[in-house]
Amino acid sequence: MNKNLYQPISSEIIKIIDESPTIRSYVIVPEEPFKFETGQFVELTWPGVGEAPFTPSSSPADTEKMEISIMKVGHVTELLHECEKGQKIGIRGPYGNGYPLDDFIGKHVYIVGGGVGLAPIRSLFLTLIDRIEDFKSIVCRFGARTPDDFIYKEAVFGHWQEIEGVDMKLTVDKADDNWKGNVGVVTTICNEQDVDVSNTVAVICGPPIMMKFATLKMLEFGFKPAQIYLSMEKNMSCGFGKCGHCMIGKYYVCKDGPVFTYEQIKDYPNIWD
Amino acid sequence: MLGMRHQINRGERVGIVSISKLSVLLNAVAEQIELYTPKKIGNHYTFAKYDSSIETPLHFNNVRAYTPIKDFLFPLSELVAVFSKSVEPNEVKPFAIFGLKDCDLRSIEILDKVFLEEEFQDPFYQRRREKLFIISSDCFDPAESCCCTLFGGRPFAQSGFDLNVSKTSDGFIVEVGSNKGRDFVEKHSQLFTDAPEALLIERDKTRAKTQKQIEQNNSKYELDAPVNKVLENSTDSEVFDIESQKCVECQACTRICPTCHCFYLYDTRQKDYFAKMKMWDSCMRMAYAAVAGGANPRKVLGDRIKHRLMHKFSYFFDRYGIDMCVGCGRCIDADSHGMDIRVVLKKLNEELRTKPKAEVAK
Ligand SMILES: Cc1cc2nc3c(=O)[nH]c(=O)nc-3n(C[C@H](O)[C@H](O)[C@H](O)COP(=O)(O)OP(=O)(O)OC[C@H]3O[C@@H](n4cnc5c(N)ncnc54)[C@H](O)[C@@H]3O)c2cc1C
Ligand code: SF4
Ligand code: SF4
Ligand code: FES
Repeated sequence: MNKNLYQPISSEIIKIIDESPTIRSYVIVPEEPFKFETGQFVELTWPGVGEAPFTPSSSPADTEKMEISIMKVGHVTELLHECEKGQKIGIRGPYGNGYPLDDFIGKHVYIVGGGVGLAPIRSLFLTLIDRIEDFKSIVCRFGARTPDDFIYKEAVFGHWQEIEGVDMKLTVDKADDNWKGNVGVVTTICNEQDVDVSNTVAVICGPPIMMKFATLKMLEFGFKPAQIYLSMEKNMSCGFGKCGHCMIGKYYVCKDGPVFTYEQIKDYPNIWD
Repeated sequence: MLGMRHQINRGERVGIVSISKLSVLLNAVAEQIELYTPKKIGNHYTFAKYDSSIETPLHFNNVRAYTPIKDFLFPLSELVAVFSKSVEPNEVKPFAIFGLKDCDLRSIEILDKVFLEEEFQDPFYQRRREKLFIISSDCFDPAESCCCTLFGGRPFAQSGFDLNVSKTSDGFIVEVGSNKGRDFVEKHSQLFTDAPEALLIERDKTRAKTQKQIEQNNSKYELDAPVNKVLENSTDSEVFDIESQKCVECQACTRICPTCHCFYLYDTRQKDYFAKMKMWDSCMRMAYAAVAGGANPRKVLGDRIKHRLMHKFSYFFDRYGIDMCVGCGRCIDADSHGMDIRVVLKKLNEELRTKPKAEVAK
């Protein structure tokens, strides 16, 4: 008998971290061994309430527990924000393809991220720095609406900046009194002089509008569409290429993605909507 | 001894026999397993459980039933998970359906591709599928909406059946299409006789005649190029938006389509457990692809109609090597406002004729 694809694995919430006014991270421990690759996603169920797709923000190397950061945007995510420590939730997966790390070897990895898009990026970042000698450098260009909206504050404001081989710049749309950094959308901290286009891959994850403009910026720098990796966010239900919800053209985002090169999807209509 | 005639798809040896009365065959099936047979409602057929103890009229349906066969394998709504205990698919008892047509068999082939795919097999579908015994039958007197021949189908079963029944002037010809079917015929060999050559010739003539009829009915919808090419060259066409003015978004076309298999999962709270249900959905629904914040790649109705057709004839074909439409015509019958898939495709075809060659990719 095949395993039931629809059955979530019960997982206990062992810690909750308030990251920003709208985003919380949950540290969960699945009751069964659960392995994933960075960039893959899970379907998270609050039993009886609803289910939604999320990308773990922790490193796949941590096989004991998993972190998931959830932004409050609608019905299910609002209810998920009411979950408490000790509560049992369900996860299904992992689904999708994850980041093709082997294609990044020997190159600069240029990561542009914003908002809750930093969740998958954190998982990628932690994976990359575990083997940082495999890459030429890791360049991070992160944005948030306000300084308070940055998630993983301790890391992005602090120790990630100090890692050798990492070049990090941050920006906010709107500063507060203490902000000394750049003000402006994330593309304003992406400078052509910082990139050696022929030897770099770009990784972009964030709100659709940000992904669109960051992609255009990368093209302007001379990146080929096949060098730009996008984590696409579409409406999903099953997570394994059957229910049809997530389709972009012929692709099931849940199965053939969520990570695509811009080359793969650029000719389909309304990919940013 | 059964006459072994030829090989058909799926590599099984077939036999052809004949039987004098349909009820004899069906009673023998019903003695063993649950059997569903066509039941006439108005001008249409649906399926009902067959009971040999009461004198139910047996219909030899001329064409496919109005309701899609997917219902037997992929029900409108079903329980797929319980929290926190795990739920095993219910034991399914073997069951048989009589009266499936070639378009039905091909629709099952399509669903098999999706739900029995190696990597992610749906155990609920699989359980039912394994237990289904298919007794198909030849079509005659096709409906106006029948257009199987446009999409590679025939008005008689080509493959994918256990037994197939053809009506003749002197009893019925029963063709074996699988090991399961052969086992059945061998076990009940006293019911069957060899099929006389004359009846086989008659059967082939009737089949050819029906096929010709459908081809003639649909000759005005013939396309200049394979349907996937017509669509792929028409992605910027306004025909979808124009046609969408006839659509009232009732979603009937996708619900009644035997190959449409969109669904969504939803969670509910029962008295003493939490349940995850799987329920039919429709890509024609406005919010189908909407995400939080209101983004929606197919907000416009014409875009949803285009996606439905592209999925059926281009994307699915790309992935699985067959079209996701069998030309059964159910969507044509279901659309009271007159959208006809054949007409839409033909309009695109006509539009391409007027396009400069350079713009039409091969
Ligand atoms: C691969 C993937 C990874 C994701 N990772 C994260 C993450 O790490 N952190 C995070 O906060 N968010 C993530 N999201 C987005 C998150 O899934 C949505 O915010 C969430 O589904 C919204 O559900 P809702 O019920 O609160 O919103 P509502 O607007 O109330 O949702 C209504 C319906 O739309 C669906 N839906 C709405 N928005 C989305 C969406 N953006 N994506 C998919 N389905 C949607 C819901 O499933 C539901 O069926 C991810 C999405 C995808 C596709
Ligand atoms: S699209 Fe229409 S004709 Fe084609 S299989 Fe579905 S219901 Fe039948
Ligand atoms: S579409 Fe073809 S196979 Fe289906 S019922 Fe009509 S004639 Fe028979
Ligand atoms: S989420 Fe069901 S097909 Fe992608």
